[in-house]
Amino acid sequence: MPVVSKHSERLRKFKNKGKDAAALRRQRVEVNIELRKAKKDEQILKRRSISFSLMDESLSLGEEKRNEVIQLSLEEIVEAVNGSNTELQLQATQATRRMLSRQKDPPINQILELGIIPRLVEFLTHADNAPLQFEAAWALTNIASGTSDHTKAVVEGGAIPAFISLLSSQHMHISEQSVWALGNIAGDGPLYRDALINCNVIPPLLALVSPVTPVGFLRNITWTLSNLCRNKNPYPPLDAVKKVLPVLICLMEHEDKDIISDSCWAVSYLTDGSNDRIQIVVDTGILPRLVELMASPELIIMTPALRAIGNVVTGTDEQTQAAIDAGVLAVLPCLLRHAKPTVQKEAAWTLSNIAAGPCQQIQQLITSGLLPPLVELLDKGDFKAQKEAVWAVANFTTGGTVEQVVELVQSGVLKPLLNLLLAKDSKTILVILDTISNLFLAAEKLGETERLCLLVEELGGLEKIEALQTHDNNMVYRAALSIIEKYFSGEENPDLQPGTGQDGLYDFSVEKQDFNF
Amino acid sequence: MELSDANLQTLTEYLKKTLDPDPAIRRPAEKFLESVEGSQNYPLLLLTLLEKSQENVIKVCASVTFKNYIKRNWRIVEDEPNKICESDRIAIKANIVPLMLSSPEQIQKQLSDAISIIGREDFPQKWPDLLTEMVNRFQSGDFHVINGVLRTAHSLFKRYRHEFKSNELWTEIKLVLDAFALPLTNLFKATIELCSTHANDASALKVLFSSLILIAKLFYSLNFQDLPEFFEDNMETWMTNFHSLLTLDNKLLQTDDEEEAGLLELLKSQICDNAALYAQKYDEEFQPYLPRFVTAIWNLLVTTGQEVKYDLLVSNAIQFLASVCERPHYKHLFEDQNTLTSICEKVIVPNMEFRAADEEAFEDNSEEYIRRDLEGSDIDTRRRAACDLVRGLCKFFEGPVTGIFSGYVNSMLQEYAKNPSVNWKHKDAAIYLVTSLASKAQTQKHGITQANELVNLTEFFVNHIQPDLKSASVNEFPVLKADGIKYIMIFRNQVPKEQLLVSIPLLINHLQAESIVVHTYAAHALERLFTMRGTNNTTLITAAEMAPFVEVLLTNLFKALTLPGSSENEYIMKAIMRSFSLLQESIIPYIPSVITQLTQKLLAVSKNPSKPHFNHYMFESICLSIRITCKANPDAVGSFEEALFLVFTEILQNDVQEFIPYVFQVMSLLLEMHKNEIPSSYMALFPHLLQPVLWERTGNIPPLVRLLQAYLERGANTIASAAADKIPGLLGVFQKLIASKANDHQGFYLLNSIIEHMPPESVDQYRKQIFILLFQRLQNSKTTKFIKSFLVFINLYCIKYGALALQEIFDSIQPKMFGMVLEKIIIPEIQKVSGQVEKKICAVGITKILTECPPMMDTEYTKLWTPLLQALIGLFELPEDDTIPDEEHFIDIEDTPGYQTAFSQLAFAGKKEHDPVGQMVNNPRIHLAQSLHKLSTACPGRVPSMLSTSLNAEALQYLQGYLQAASVTLL
Repeated sequence: MPVVSKHSERLRKFKNKGKDAAALRRQRVEVNIELRKAKKDEQILKRRSISFSLMDESLSLGEEKRNEVIQLSLEEIVEAVNGSNTELQLQATQATRRMLSRQKDPPINQILELGIIPRLVEFLTHADNAPLQFEAAWALTNIASGTSDHTKAVVEGGAIPAFISLLSSQHMHISEQSVWALGNIAGDGPLYRDALINCNVIPPLLALVSPVTPVGFLRNITWTLSNLCRNKNPYPPLDAVKKVLPVLICLMEHEDKDIISDSCWAVSYLTDGSNDRIQIVVDTGILPRLVELMASPELIIMTPALRAIGNVVTGTDEQTQAAIDAGVLAVLPCLLRHAKPTVQKEAAWTLSNIAAGPCQQIQQLITSGLLPPLVELLDKGDFKAQKEAVWAVANFTTGGTVEQVVELVQSGVLKPLLNLLLAKDSKTILVILDTISNLFLAAEKLGETERLCLLVEELGGLEKIEALQTHDNNMVYRAALSIIEKYFSGEENPDLQPGTGQDGLYDFSVEKQDFNF
Repeated sequence: MELSDANLQTLTEYLKKTLDPDPAIRRPAEKFLESVEGSQNYPLLLLTLLEKSQENVIKVCASVTFKNYIKRNWRIVEDEPNKICESDRIAIKANIVPLMLSSPEQIQKQLSDAISIIGREDFPQKWPDLLTEMVNRFQSGDFHVINGVLRTAHSLFKRYRHEFKSNELWTEIKLVLDAFALPLTNLFKATIELCSTHANDASALKVLFSSLILIAKLFYSLNFQDLPEFFEDNMETWMTNFHSLLTLDNKLLQTDDEEEAGLLELLKSQICDNAALYAQKYDEEFQPYLPRFVTAIWNLLVTTGQEVKYDLLVSNAIQFLASVCERPHYKHLFEDQNTLTSICEKVIVPNMEFRAADEEAFEDNSEEYIRRDLEGSDIDTRRRAACDLVRGLCKFFEGPVTGIFSGYVNSMLQEYAKNPSVNWKHKDAAIYLVTSLASKAQTQKHGITQANELVNLTEFFVNHIQPDLKSASVNEFPVLKADGIKYIMIFRNQVPKEQLLVSIPLLINHLQAESIVVHTYAAHALERLFTMRGTNNTTLITAAEMAPFVEVLLTNLFKALTLPGSSENEYIMKAIMRSFSLLQESIIPYIPSVITQLTQKLLAVSKNPSKPHFNHYMFESICLSIRITCKANPDAVGSFEEALFLVFTEILQNDVQEFIPYVFQVMSLLLEMHKNEIPSSYMALFPHLLQPVLWERTGNIPPLVRLLQAYLERGANTIASAAADKIPGLLGVFQKLIASKANDHQGFYLLNSIIEHMPPESVDQYRKQIFILLFQRLQNSKTTKFIKSFLVFINLYCIKYGALALQEIFDSIQPKMFGMVLEKIIIPEIQKVSGQVEKKICAVGITKILTECPPMMDTEYTKLWTPLLQALIGLFELPEDDTIPDEEHFIDIEDTPGYQTAFSQLAFAGKKEHDPVGQMVNNPRIHLAQSLHKLSTACPGRVPSMLSTSLNAEALQYLQGYLQAASVTLL
């Protein structure tokens, strides 16, 4: 019946329209609200320097070696710090630092309440007393490693300029401690990060990087640099990024895995943004190295590298192509099959964004053998990864050619996809239903609608879609209903036509008017 | 309204009246309440009454009225007035929670609903203290109060289970978690402790278990979107307690009721859901707990009885195991042979047994039984869950599971053999087990499509199914007969054809069984077998193979319709239809008897049509009888008319709406069978077909248009000569249809037939009006569909009356009209025309305009000549333009005044596609080339110059191809 085909044609247009927006590349959705525990595999924002007795010895530079560890009460500390006896100042500062460095429950709040922070900051400027500078820097580092309020107290005590000038201290251990402290301040968030950048932290920091810098020190610098690249709203200023990036690229070639890891994290932050931010990273030509690192057996390297590449492919088709040219498709199968669910999930997310590209990229995805691991993941992956895999399939069916969609179906995607209609997540269900509609559109073009109907029924999909007609979510039930009505409403296609009839009289007459089309 | 005693008194009286059974008293009271509900204080008066009224009935009535009032008015709709004044809103929110908690249960439920409606709008921003207020009540120690809070919380939070993730939603959930998660956990622990303190106090336990159920439900809602940090940190507490509750039993909580699930079952069932949620979504975190839950749930299954009240629990529990056993990293939990055996023996087999409740349904509620068993609406049943578990286990353990079950099947069959009349249920279970073990994928259309290769289906069929069906009595062990027939039905693609052929007489025989399920299954099985495809797209079972059984098949099918309970059995009627279609001319000898029986049936059911499918297949069967018979003997059409017209007249006279569209289709079919001039009996009916009342019903329109087309095809001359006065009425129908966006294409079908078949002089006087009407529609509300039909029509007109006539009639309506239509409609829109015949009509019509219309060559229309040619070449070569303007996405359903009787198209009354230019033009491209050639001969030089000036290169290339193919050149 012409009307019916007409109708479905319209619906098809309409649905496609709606879908374009839904199936666009998905940025890393930074939900401001998290219900979950903070992710375990994220990079650490702030770090406290914990003293082990051995390290303590070696770092304490002789002087107090003969003294037994001196126990001071909080009152004594306040008095000594505020007093003018440098010996006592050192003792008190050291005692403070010790308390803040103990492994369990450092008394940051209590120290804060003593009001000695401005004084500790002042000690940083005592260039004639390196031990005091060092102990104060350490203590302040540990205070800054606490909550935002703790960091704030340190910053408001005037620590930023003091630490920045200590970067150029002739004592390497003081300079290193300052790098650490600045890292903690930068890690607090975009506000302090930019405060540091505005105080020109970057040039002296970068000046510390040299072929002779000891690895431990270099680790600290890299970590602090990564915190300077971190956080959005707003992003770090462009010129700062441009200064840091070349150094990061070098650090990424280092042999130390922590240094590589943190520089990858830094790049992952820089790519976690708008397309022009991504472009700056792409332009450095670092993508092949990142892809190489994605294949690293070290989890701490692979995780941020995968993340960075995942971010790149949220960008334009050209940026995505750059990642493809760098070989990302060859590495993904292995990551999709990784034992760790979060890796599977990130890899699937990356794949979903590549699948959102033009059909040429989809073709590369097929040729690189991504369909079998995708189907496996959909079938047996962790739920978080399955959700991303569903998106990948949805995007594939939206942008792929009919032939590509056929290939997808032939690779066995339908069964696990239909099984996931039982997922306890409305959005996933909706995306699957949309995908099924896409599959039917392709089948219609091939005249294979009936075969697809049978396949869906055979694989237990029909009864699941039928059951979704009673789903509590409106959009889900409507999507299910529309599929049932269009493709499964039985042999007798009811032709639902609307009635008319205001006039009622069928006398054949008409008044002429002027026509102008 | 003031909060005064007087007003309370008035309100009480009106509320009382709303309960009156007499509508004359009730309605005005309801009206009154509606009229005052906009007044300030009205809701507060209701709240006062539900709290303080002396009469309980008024309290309840006030609470229901209050809830409905909230439902109707609380939401603030943009651009609409706020229907509840702010001070009332504040007062309601301040009082409703304590009021709800102190009310008796009946009123508490209403208020709890009201709170959740308000909460949906106001919570959390506009009702910030709701949560604290609720949480504070946890400390009350009064479980009546606590359950009120929990119930309200459940209705507020349950939407977290189905809504999409969003920042807004998650902000709310986070807020709820911060305030609610810890108190809920503490309450959970405290309640469990109280359960052991009160282990011997039945009434206390009931209240406490109601709390636990609500707590478990809240757990599900709060954990649905993602795993909250709090619950991850407290997983030990929750899961340990859930686990121990799963294993808990207390005699005091067991109920005597066999049907209704008790508190213990409800709680355990919810815990299964909670565990399944964690297993599916938070596998990584839940892994350490999962094995314990598998064991507990499996033990639970082993110890739970067969009563109906446990069904939900059992199917939930089995589904949990089914979903876990498919996951590769839990494979090891099931791997052990003893485990597998025990699951098979103690979980699967017992739940596959045919229970008393099934037996009852089989006998007394066969329709429901068939629906569940045949059409798969058995999703929540135990048998189904057990089947799913079998399939789940087979994913990794197909061999061992098949092995274990083979043993069971054999021993059950042996039990049966020992004493069939006592042990027939064992055989039923054995068949069910084989079926569920063997079927891996299934569709309604083809039965099982993928089978377990380890099961020898044919052997089982020959040894255990056929003997039952061969037994002398068709009425013995009806359940086993039904099982056997179902076996044939679903494994029809696995069992070899020769076995199917052996089964056919057995199935035919069972059409006589008294049991509704048995004869229905027999009919259905035959119908399915007859639709199986063999090689070369023919049916697997041929008419020749069926020859020996034709008579007994038809006899038994029609006899089955006389069995009690099956007089309108759609499966039987469908089998009749399918048999006719398969047997074709071998049914001719039986037609007289068949058609008598069908018309009798038709007459009987037309009194009160109630089974749409049955009716549909009945009309299909009638159509088939007509087609098959008249194909062999065209003159037989008269005897069909004789047999049917009496009933048809009755249906039309009694206005049996469901059947009228079918009657028109059958009549169309009959009329089309006539080779000669239209019989007078049809002509007598003609004026009646134009009656507006028929056309007002949507469902009538397609078949009536079809019927009128048949009239025009066969009787145009008769209409012109004998019913000329009816032509305006006929065109009136066209006008009516064209006025509607939904039906305009039907109007065009009619118009096309009029133009094609009516003698030109008979419609001469109306032609101009027809076009004015079409132009009007084009001007006022053009749609893509209308334009497509319009284009086909004007080109058909052009073919029939000539291009010059088309130009003249257009320009006589308005100067330059022809040019405007060419420029604004034909050239830009022609690409949208779809359908092969439609495209061909347009191509031939446009060719005529290009080559047989002088004004195109020597007036200002000449400038349109090349663009028109270009458009025609586009029609030939470019893909169809299926774009539709944006605004058109939204017409159709929304604009229609509501669905009416649906039109049910009969497949076997189908109309052949009609190509009005078929004979005249074979290949429209060649035709274009030849016509251009002719034109160029008439005016040498003109055509090539027009082509060279403005036809684009690509189009020119195509055109040259046509000229070459036609072996002509342009002069």
